[in-house]
Formats: sequence, structure tokens, C-alpha cells
Amino acid sequence: MIIAKRVLNTLTELWPVLETLMKRFKMGDFSIKEVQSIIKQHFPHYSGAQIYKETNRLLSQDILVPLAKSSQLEINRAVSDFAAYLLQDESLGVAAEIHVLVDDLERLSAKLTKAVGDDDYGDISRYTRIMDERVRKIVKLYQHNENAIYNLVEQAKANGSSMSLSKRYKAVIEAFDEYIEPMLEMLDISGAFQICFDTIELSLTEHLLHLKQSGRDANTIRMLEQLRTRILDMHHIGRESLRQSADMLMPLREELRQNTLVTRQAAKVLGLIRKRGLDSVMSAHQPFFASEPMHHQLGSNAQLVAYMAGLSEFEEHDFEMPDASAAEPYRAPNIPSFRDVRALFKPAKGNNKARKQQLIDVLDTHYPELESDELLYLYQKLINDPSLTLSQSERLETKTIAGKRFALYPFIDASDATTTKSSEQL
Amino acid sequence: MTDIDLTQLTQLHYINKKLVSGYHISEQDNLAWQELDQQQEQYAALFSALGHTLVHDARGFFHFATDEGTANMGKISRAIALFIYTLIEHYANQGQDPMRALFDKDVDLELCQELVLHNKVLYDQLEIFSGTDLRKDVLMRMVRLGMAKAKDKESVFRLLAPIHRYLDALLEVNEDALESAEEL
Repeated sequence: MIIAKRVLNTLTELWPVLETLMKRFKMGDFSIKEVQSIIKQHFPHYSGAQIYKETNRLLSQDILVPLAKSSQLEINRAVSDFAAYLLQDESLGVAAEIHVLVDDLERLSAKLTKAVGDDDYGDISRYTRIMDERVRKIVKLYQHNENAIYNLVEQAKANGSSMSLSKRYKAVIEAFDEYIEPMLEMLDISGAFQICFDTIELSLTEHLLHLKQSGRDANTIRMLEQLRTRILDMHHIGRESLRQSADMLMPLREELRQNTLVTRQAAKVLGLIRKRGLDSVMSAHQPFFASEPMHHQLGSNAQLVAYMAGLSEFEEHDFEMPDASAAEPYRAPNIPSFRDVRALFKPAKGNNKARKQQLIDVLDTHYPELESDELLYLYQKLINDPSLTLSQSERLETKTIAGKRFALYPFIDASDATTTKSSEQL
Repeated sequence: MTDIDLTQLTQLHYINKKLVSGYHISEQDNLAWQELDQQQEQYAALFSALGHTLVHDARGFFHFATDEGTANMGKISRAIALFIYTLIEHYANQGQDPMRALFDKDVDLELCQELVLHNKVLYDQLEIFSGTDLRKDVLMRMVRLGMAKAKDKESVFRLLAPIHRYLDALLEVNEDALESAEEL
């Protein structure tokens, strides 16, 4: 007698070994040597004796069983099913598998009806139990297939560029042809399943009513109720699972179609080019990029900014030419004649008082109506006039002339002085 | 009207320079692509004011739309088209998935030689007589247009997302053209 807990312990301890065996040999057989080398690989510190002991343990607990009439071993089917479930390493079944189970369910339902008619309570509970098992199995298959499809999609997506196209999509196409499409057909609202389940459900309800009225065997009634719920649930799970599977597969199928389309079209177009020449075939369809004028357009950032600034300020409006009659006539600047100004400083007898005065002050007092720039113009002209004798103050002075302040080394009218150096600061 | 804040468009100079030269900015051009992606509206408004149409292709690239090219550009474009289509045929013949292989596999000189050799009649029309010609006349130009990326001192090339434009063009060559060709 093998104790369950001991088996579980062994499974836990030697799980890596089992996992490798599952992955490497799938459902196939292997020799005892291979098992030992896998143990060695996972537990390199084990001695030869220990490896032998572990192998023996796997054999004695029936985790690995010998093939009939052979020295080869295989994983116990129960263990491998369990491991496959844990590893989610499931292969896709076919829709027919589910179909068979559903047919069986129908058959059992007929038998159940007969048993209810005969009031054979032993048979009622027996058939209910078997039907319950079938339903569980169908649900399990749905989930199993969904996982299988998930794996399949992952595989097709995984770094497939080196895999050949047909190989990569073969599984996907098969999944569609052998599972998704027939299943969709079956689960269709007016499909075979629906009719079958409706019948089963109806008869179950009738049986329940009958049994309740007879008021016997609460246990059987409960089982029947459970069965009915499970069948309703199963239908729902089936639809959900199928929808998810289809959702996973659809993008891949689309990809495949796109690929086929592109490949076929490429072959056609190349054939066409061979016949009619590249230019005539492609001229109408080829993509264009960058034309010559584009090359010569604004290049630098600064140019772009300037251009954009111009664009944003640009306003379209009509320009009006100025009206000639409305224009004001030209007026000469209001500057007194230089000769008159110079006359102020010409040396004259008895005019000593005016002398030694600063040029700028004289100008300011004589011509208060002039603007500062006009005064400065005259001042500039005077100090450059060779006929005047001027001297320059060594002191920086600040003057206010016509409302503007200036700092300068002022020139002084000094007909007896000889310096005519001009150095002025504004 | 979108407000354009030029201080935000830090890559403007690079992007403008590239796009006007016909270059396609794809995800490989990290900085420029990110900025275009983030400031797409501003760039689109700016370029449209300059008379260009910025196109964002959902398959991961930007380019300027133009419906006319120069004669020379047209010739280059046709050469690229021919190269891509022969490459698709090559991958398909090898039983590979062309849509994946186009983007996942490298194109080296050896492959160029093979393409030219197997499609001699076709490449003769473009005066491409060897793999080296193909590399120089087509692949190097594709690099300049942002359709391919050169690796290992320009000996190996990897095609980029913008070649989708050629795949679109491929599917556009319609049945009428094919049928009328068959009649000839």
C-alpha cells in the first residue's frame, strides 16, 4: 500500500526531476539511466548511492512505472496528468471529444428518465452521479483546451522569426479548424448543444418535481439539483472559454492572413514588373518623399524663428498712398544763421563784459526757443570755427540746456587765449 | 489655432532638417521621435504654416507628405520598392514569415548579392548589377531616408518601420493593373 503523503513528499522533493522528464520526453518513455542522469543534473552533490536510492524511491512509489515487456520507464498516467495540470502544459483536444461526452450525457439522461419512471432510486442516484462526472469532465476539458490554446499562442508569438511560417501557424490554423470553429457551431444558440441541454434540463426539472411530490429521498433530490445547476454553469463556462480562446487566436490568424496577402501580392507585382517594367507599374503607387524645393527651404532654427515671427505678425490690409495735397510743406529747421551767432562772439570794443563767458550759456540765453540738439549743433560749429579764440575749462560742469542735462568741459570765449583744444563730453 | 511655443520645440532644428530632406523619423531617433510625439500638435501647426504636411503613421514614424517628387527621387523610390518586394519574395521562398523577417532580420552583402542574382532581369532595369551596387544605390539611400539602420560599419542593415509605406503601396497595386498586364 502506497501512502499518499509519502508520494506527495517524493513529488515535492523530486519535482525538478519530474518537470524535466515531462518536458523532455512529453508522454514518451525513457530509460533508468536517463532518470539517473537527470537526478544528477539537478542534485549535483548527490553521491552515486543516493542517486540510486532516489531512483528506487520513484519506482517503488509507482511514480515511474515500467512499460510492459520492456526495460523502459514512463511516468504514471495519474501523476503525469497532475503534473500537466500543474505545468499547464496541455495539448489541445478536439471538439469531437466534447461532442462525445455531450452525446453520452444525453444517453444518460434518457436512462435517468427511465429510472425515475421506474422509481428505481438506486439507478437514479447512480446515473445522476455519472452525469455529474461527465459534466465535470466537460468543464475540465474546456479549461484544459483554453490553457492549451494559450500555450499555443505564446509559442507562435515567441521569437518566431527563425521558425518557418507554415510551422509557426500550423498549430494556430489547426486549433481553429479542429476546435474553435466546430465548437462555435455546437455552442450556437440553436446548435446541437443548446437543444441537448434544453432537453436535459427540462427532464431534470420534471424529475425534480416528481421526486419532490413523492416526498422521498432528500439526498437524491439534492444531487439532481446540483446536477442541474452544474449543467447550466457548464454551458456558460463553455461560451466564456471559447470566446477567450477565439480572442487569443484571432490576432494570429489575422497576422497570417496579412502575411499571405503580402507574399502573394509581392509575387504578383514582381511578375507584373517583369512583364511591363518597373516604371510603368510602380509610378502610380510609389511613395514620395522630399521634393527638390523642400531642400532649398529655410534651414536653420534662427531662420525658422524669424520666419514664424514674420508670419505671426503678418496682417493683410490695404496700403494707402499718401495724398500729395495733404502733405505738409517742407519747413527748414528753425536755426538762426550761423553768421549771426558768430557775431555774438566777434571781438568788439567795449564788449568785454560778454567775454569770458561760456559759449553754451551765451547760446542758451540768446536763443531760448531752440531745442537742445539745435543748440549743440551751433555750439559744435562755434568751437570748430577758426576765427574765434576759445579756451576750454579744465573743470567738468553739468549744464541744463533746453530741459536736457549735459556734462561737459565748457569752452570759454577768450579772444586773448590761444588754446583751441576741443574735447567735449556729452 | 494651436499656440506654438518655440522654446518647447527644442529639437526643431534637427527635426526640420531631417524631415525636409525626406527623412522618416521613427522610434529609433529617440529624442526627435519623443519630442514629435509629445508636441505633435505644435509641430504639425508649425510645419503646416510652412507649407508642409506632417504625417504621423501609427506604425511608428513621422514624415512629410508629398504627392510629387523629382524624377530622381522617383527612381530611387522605385528602386527601394523593388528591393523590398524581392526581399519579401526571398523570405517567403525560404518559408519564413516575411512581415517579421523584414523587420527582425539583418540584410547583409551576401543577401544583397543573392537578391540581385535571382532577380537579374528586374535589377538590370535599375542598372544595379551586383550586391555592392544594391547596397550603395538602395540601402545607403534608405539609411539617409530613415528607412533602414546601418550597423557594423555599414556592412549590415536592418529595415525600419517606414517601409510600411512600401507595403501599403504594394497592396495598392490593384487588380485592374494586374489583369490588364495579364492580357498583354
